[in-house]
Amino acid sequence: MKSALRKLGPATSTVLSLGALLVLWEILARLAQIDGFPPATEALVQVPLILGERESLASIGASLWRMFLGGALALCFAVPVGLAMGRNKRIAQALNPVLTAAYPIPKAALMPIIMLWFGVGDLSKVLVIFLGVSLPLIYHSYHGAHAVDEKLLWSAMAMGMKPVARLFKVVLPSALPDVLLGCRVGLAMALIVMISSEMIARQSGAGDLLFNALDMALYGDVYAMIVILAGIGFMLDWVFERVRRRLVHWAESRQDAMVPGGGV
Amino acid sequence: MSEPMIAIQGLTKRFSTADGRKHLAIDDVNVEVAEGEFVSILGPSGCGKSTLLYMVGGFVAPSAGVITVQGRPVTGPGPDRGPVFQEFALFPWKTVLENVMYGLRQQGVSRAEAEARARALLDMVHLKDFADFYPKELSGGMRQRVAIARTLAYQPQILLMDEPFGALDAHTRTVLQNELLGIWERDRKTVLFVTHGVDEAVFLSDRVVVMTRAPGRIKKVVEIDLPRPRVRAELLVNRRYQEYIVELEQLIEDVHLEAAGA
Repeated sequence: MKSALRKLGPATSTVLSLGALLVLWEILARLAQIDGFPPATEALVQVPLILGERESLASIGASLWRMFLGGALALCFAVPVGLAMGRNKRIAQALNPVLTAAYPIPKAALMPIIMLWFGVGDLSKVLVIFLGVSLPLIYHSYHGAHAVDEKLLWSAMAMGMKPVARLFKVVLPSALPDVLLGCRVGLAMALIVMISSEMIARQSGAGDLLFNALDMALYGDVYAMIVILAGIGFMLDWVFERVRRRLVHWAESRQDAMVPGGGV
Repeated sequence: MSEPMIAIQGLTKRFSTADGRKHLAIDDVNVEVAEGEFVSILGPSGCGKSTLLYMVGGFVAPSAGVITVQGRPVTGPGPDRGPVFQEFALFPWKTVLENVMYGLRQQGVSRAEAEARARALLDMVHLKDFADFYPKELSGGMRQRVAIARTLAYQPQILLMDEPFGALDAHTRTVLQNELLGIWERDRKTVLFVTHGVDEAVFLSDRVVVMTRAPGRIKKVVEIDLPRPRVRAELLVNRRYQEYIVELEQLIEDVHLEAAGA
């Protein structure tokens, strides 16, 4: 049995374990007979219905757009900040306490304050996603830039490479595996913060759909939305992982296949 | 005597330790290296011999003293001094060919010419067929061959070699020592070679500078008067080679005893 499992490709084993989860869900829900816990089949039939509706599709699209915007802003901001911290002791000393203090704060907890300042619209939600993605991205970029092999820099210096060129041609590629690891953590973070921001500032988006369904006791829809969100997360991660491997195929393999998903 | 290629005068290096104390790593070292000379710096680990090399490279600033290369004081790294490190320090995101071309491209050499010269060098270090490999796909010995080719590519007048074969197995080390001598005997670059291997130092060098430990001072400079081209099998039965080995082993033993007794 074990050896048979091992022979299966990753795709097959994914399908198998997901299937097992669905079967378990179905059985438990049928046994439990609770309103708030519909069987898998009842939830899953709602998935195509939700995805077939123009309004809900627009909501999910709006969520993803905000997530993309917040993530892109974070990328432009956090990577240079992290790299600068990694290469300059003073900058690191100045920013490290701020980072350490900010890291454990659930970013969604900042949402009420941000809403006070910037309203309940897109700006606040993009901002809070930006904050949520920035922290892991800064942290990993910092770590990557800090760990750049000094001898690589020296080799480049001996060739006559100037400081700015070294930043882009040595520090950035050296740190890239870590930066991309930060991106992957940031991606999971972005999804989490996206939903929680929409749960607090209920106006539009996937999180709004989910909680509206909950308010109306449409439990099948609630679970269907969760399945859809999980699917989106899974797909984004799958695509990103492909991109990441392409970009850093040259790196010595490390034990970074597992990425902490968040927990906020 | 003509102007030395490298002149080191009164070179001293102090480090601050983590608890704020001063550690004297190198104390008043004076060495001159002539053009085309192969000089090894031999000493136990922790004697500051690598630091000495990094200061000649311009990577580390001295606390006191002056280093001149062809009469000009060293103020930073430059393509006249090409380093080869124990850790190879290849750019892992570049292929073997791109690594070797890199310095040339930095110097403004056209892509076509850089590639032609890089391929010739790869041929010389027997890696012609590995041009498109990435460093992670190569063994340690192959990586160090690439690193040597990469440094030779931009034609430094001086090679600064920091225990370049220290991370390799005994067999590969011997092979690379032979290859290095072959290359050196053809174009006679000035080489400063840091090592803690007595036989390596004797086999390769014109002169061996033996250093003491903590602080690093010059214990003795030994001229290695052996015929070139050197062939290992012949040297092993050469009386004078054996005497050099014994003399240097004795000096290193003394350095250890002094350090233990102090």
